[in-house]
Amino acid sequence: MKKILLFLFLMILSFAKAQDVDSIMANISEQKEYKTQATFKSPRLVLLQTNETQKAKNLAFWVGHRFGDIGGEFGSSHTLYGLDFATDLYLGFDYGITDELTVGIGRSKFNESYSALVKYRLLWQEEEGLPFSVTLFGQSSWITREPFSNNEFQDEGDRINHFFQAIVARKFTPGISFMVSPGYFLRPEAQVQDAGDKQNLFVLGIGGRFKILKRVSLITDYTFVNGLSRPDDLQTDYHNPFGVGVEIETGGHVFSLNFQNSRYITANNFIPNTTKSWSDGGVRFGFAISRNFNLGPKERNDY
Amino acid sequence: MRSILFHIILFFLVCASWQPVQAQFYQTTSASVRFYSSAPVEDIEAISKEGVSVINSDNGDISFKVKMRSFRFEKALMQEHFNENYMESEKFPDASFKGKSVGQIDISSTKPQKVIFKGKFTVHGVSKQRELPVTIKMGSDGETMSLSSEFKVKCVDHDIKIPKILWENIAEVIDVYVKAEFKIISQ
Repeated sequence: MKKILLFLFLMILSFAKAQDVDSIMANISEQKEYKTQATFKSPRLVLLQTNETQKAKNLAFWVGHRFGDIGGEFGSSHTLYGLDFATDLYLGFDYGITDELTVGIGRSKFNESYSALVKYRLLWQEEEGLPFSVTLFGQSSWITREPFSNNEFQDEGDRINHFFQAIVARKFTPGISFMVSPGYFLRPEAQVQDAGDKQNLFVLGIGGRFKILKRVSLITDYTFVNGLSRPDDLQTDYHNPFGVGVEIETGGHVFSLNFQNSRYITANNFIPNTTKSWSDGGVRFGFAISRNFNLGPKERNDY
Repeated sequence: MRSILFHIILFFLVCASWQPVQAQFYQTTSASVRFYSSAPVEDIEAISKEGVSVINSDNGDISFKVKMRSFRFEKALMQEHFNENYMESEKFPDASFKGKSVGQIDISSTKPQKVIFKGKFTVHGVSKQRELPVTIKMGSDGETMSLSSEFKVKCVDHDIKIPKILWENIAEVIDVYVKAEFKIISQ
């Protein structure tokens, strides 16, 4: 019996040695975890921020523009469907300190406000592992226009407001990505336009990207402001910001052509102040252009 | 009686599985693959040092694989475009070659020898029959083998689409350079 066992053992051993190129390949190929790339093509969707940040040592120059109402009282052919007006204009720079950390500055026409932003990628979706990404976003804005009345801004602090958001995003397929972004907006009492409105506001943003061609995507986002902490018996007729657009990517440029009811570009401006509605012609055309500059040395090629 | 039958069966099985010539395998997990695209606007270069390959020096079998995501570019945005827009790395994660040498590899000679490997070359999910010229040099210790190869890949052969818009400018034929140090697999 012992002899039989010995024979069996030898037999298995010799079978095991009868390997080929394919079986060795399978053994030595290790599974490496790669971070999911390009959940969104750009750090901005229509109105909201996405989970994307600038690449390390990359500088992006941003231009955003919002025209006037297409329809309603201020629209129609008298204003060439709003194209005669610029309700807001944003110029800004974003810089990637690392692949995870981006800082930016910008200036908006609305309220002559200057803003500074920080974005940090807390979690990064992986191709086989972690199923979603989380990015933290913070933006502070400083209103520099002349006060409308003498006592509008009692002190300099009354001109400042802050917005914080956590962006949870997932790339479901190469062509479909979604995000859900809870946020909180803080402002001084002096900036509250409607006496009944809450000083600080909870918001919830949702957004998505649908690739229709390799370099062309449909983008949309919606932000709940009404229906959360904001009272619903206000004098002012506030609406939730909603935008749809087309995003076109060509090398280092991203072009976004979009429609939205919000008149303003930065979250600090559109979250408390969106009074236009899609239903009464308050929708407007807008566009955004970004140009990417690679400022880093050629160190990525470290082989 | 049963015991004798057992022994006979076992004897045949052992004979059948015993190989008269032990095949010699060489492997690497750090082959370097570099490609270069020369275009009027911008030269594009990328390199991966994570190529995985196995060669059977006895029968000339070769298998080679490199992950598209392992290629590093000078510009991070280029790397993203390469994976997202050109190679569709989520759908087609690897480039590979599987084939056989034309003629024998002489493992007793330490002189550089030119060998043609014939087989299936796959990029972007599209396979082509290719004959790739390779230079092999056996190490003097008999345990290592250096391999180098240079060949061209036509984007159109592998259904890699290059848009003719604005600033994107990429050569239609890409030069590929492969360098690898193989080690013998101890039996």
